[in-house]
Amino acid sequence: MPRKYSEFSVEALLFISAIASILIMILIFYFLIHESLPAFSQLGIVSLVFGSKWHPSGDIYGMMPIIATSIIITLLALFINILIGLPLAIYLAELAGPRSQAVLKPSIELLAGVPSIVYGFLGVIILVTYLQDSFDLLTGRSILAGSMLLGVMFIPRLTTICEDSLRAVPGEFKEGSLALGANRWQTLRNVTIPAASSGITAAILLNIGSIIGETMAVLLVVGNVARMASPMYDIFDQGASFTSIIAGEMGEVARGSMHYHVLFAVGFVLLIVVTIFSLIADYARIRIKRKFGGY
Amino acid sequence: MTRPSLLGSLAISAFLFVSSLGCLIIQPDLERLAPLWQASLFASMLLIVASYSFSKAASLKTVPFLALDTLLCSAILYLAYSGILHEGFVIRRPLGVGASFDYSFILPLLIFFASLLCIKDAINILYDYRAKGREVLVFLAVRLSAVLSLLLLGGILFIIVYKGIGVISWDFLTTPHRRLGQAGGISTAILGSLWMVLGAMVISSPLGIGAAIYLNEYSKSQRLNRIITIAVSCLNGVPSVVFGLFGLAFLVSYLGVSLLSGSIILGLINIPTIILTCQEALKSVPNSLREGSLALGATKWQTIRKVVLPSAAPGILTGVIIGVAKASGETAPIMWTAVTFTATPVQMIYGVIPNVFQPVNNLDYHLLNLIYFLGAWDVEARAWGTALVLIALVLGTNMLAIVVRNHYRKKISW
Repeated sequence: MPRKYSEFSVEALLFISAIASILIMILIFYFLIHESLPAFSQLGIVSLVFGSKWHPSGDIYGMMPIIATSIIITLLALFINILIGLPLAIYLAELAGPRSQAVLKPSIELLAGVPSIVYGFLGVIILVTYLQDSFDLLTGRSILAGSMLLGVMFIPRLTTICEDSLRAVPGEFKEGSLALGANRWQTLRNVTIPAASSGITAAILLNIGSIIGETMAVLLVVGNVARMASPMYDIFDQGASFTSIIAGEMGEVARGSMHYHVLFAVGFVLLIVVTIFSLIADYARIRIKRKFGGY
Repeated sequence: MTRPSLLGSLAISAFLFVSSLGCLIIQPDLERLAPLWQASLFASMLLIVASYSFSKAASLKTVPFLALDTLLCSAILYLAYSGILHEGFVIRRPLGVGASFDYSFILPLLIFFASLLCIKDAINILYDYRAKGREVLVFLAVRLSAVLSLLLLGGILFIIVYKGIGVISWDFLTTPHRRLGQAGGISTAILGSLWMVLGAMVISSPLGIGAAIYLNEYSKSQRLNRIITIAVSCLNGVPSVVFGLFGLAFLVSYLGVSLLSGSIILGLINIPTIILTCQEALKSVPNSLREGSLALGATKWQTIRKVVLPSAAPGILTGVIIGVAKASGETAPIMWTAVTFTATPVQMIYGVIPNVFQPVNNLDYHLLNLIYFLGAWDVEARAWGTALVLIALVLGTNMLAIVVRNHYRKKISW
């Protein structure tokens, strides 16, 4: 009998730890909603989210500049990310010899772990100075600097996942295409990449989430001034993203002030956006698994 | 006859490519290079056009491509040669953007573009515009961009090691900082980081491993499994700064700005990583082992404890080590919840257990503060040193994880 009790208690303990992540997720949502509710109810959801001015000193809060800048940064960073990361993945999966693979794959995985504050430091010391000197900017801290840094930062992640999905394409597909007389590039373009496209899409979606959510690197190089870039496309202007505005201003606000609640509201919007992207990525992965059996 | 001249033009274009890319990055004085570039571009174009007219590839179908490229190259050459693109040439804030593009940026950019066109044409003519030529071209581009990105990533590591290694000394690692980081070392930051990460692992490992075991071994309800998996992947995607907000709203009101709050938050951040890696490890244990143990009369928990967990241990260990690396690299979640820029060492109770209700210093936060001080005080050397220590810590643990994984992957065979 005691043996049965111990079995049961172990299972109960494990069950609790299993539902812990659901509880944490609920707690996070609860506290963010709870702390941002005063902002939403007093300023109004529409004027808070779509207002075009952000002046904390005058208690005027509108998130539109932040949202616009975040979108620009994310798109630009993603562009740089894919432009560099995808060829690297193709090289590793298709062209590299076994020996260089054995060296390169672990070292790229290793690079994925470089802390973001270190990237921020390099950005401040090297990238910002470079942009400032070569483009004669007022200050090198700009949207462009933020996107370049984010784009480079997430190369290892994109490369690792894309390479895995390229490699998971069954060899018979490629061999069939090669046997029909297609050369390696034609095979890659018409067979391998389309077959792996779902994995690549999932990787890109995951990367969008991480790019939006990355904090320290952006905070240090983006200038953190929440205003619309004067022509909308001016990527040499300063800006502020969701994360940088929270991280940059939260340290100085009084607990319980309107500014404090508004920053929580920014965090809540960020959480919603990122959660949507992770849900889509998750859904994509499930669907892919069902459709192709694992790649 | 055409082959050597094409190879010659390829070599010239390669020189143009490398030198213009280099100039884009380091921005040297272009006085000497500019005439050389003009001459080489002209030679390369001449070789390409000449070899095209003598080769078999010359036909009405391919002529427009070459004509267009030649036109572009000659336009670039004309701009450079005629003196329109002279020293001191500037496009000032075009279309209202906040940047000016000057001579030392535009010329290398144009030359870079022209060299790409030349390489493309030369290879196409070399292979008579067939599919084979396209394959060579694309794979060349892929190889080139792979090399460039590896150089970029390697350069990042190299520059940190190169700049930081001079600062590292026994003193730097074992004394607290003085005068706002201008003197002294980073011992309080290292100790604070170690205790905080240790706390995070104490919190996240049991929860993460337990959850993975439940999901993989016990759970019978497909739906619950699905919900937990979704929650885990959402939790994995939650930005670290949101965890910081959560900690500020929830933990700080009960525990204050303290080591414990920081450890709990870092632990929560780590849970998804550990669950995902442990699930992988548990999945790789073959069912025959479980069935054998159950058939001998062992209970489920005995089977898991004595058979499944030991077989999956390397994978689980890898997950935990990756968690350590991840926790030691986070800054945003602990900024307002756990750290101060303090030089006081971590207070110990009875000399062994740290007082968990005190704020501590942390490597990431120390580096952040030094970055903020950069313009005002002379802290740059120490910032490089701190970055090197941080990166060594994180990459060292990551490398350990990879070594463990590879070692056992070779050793275990079911």
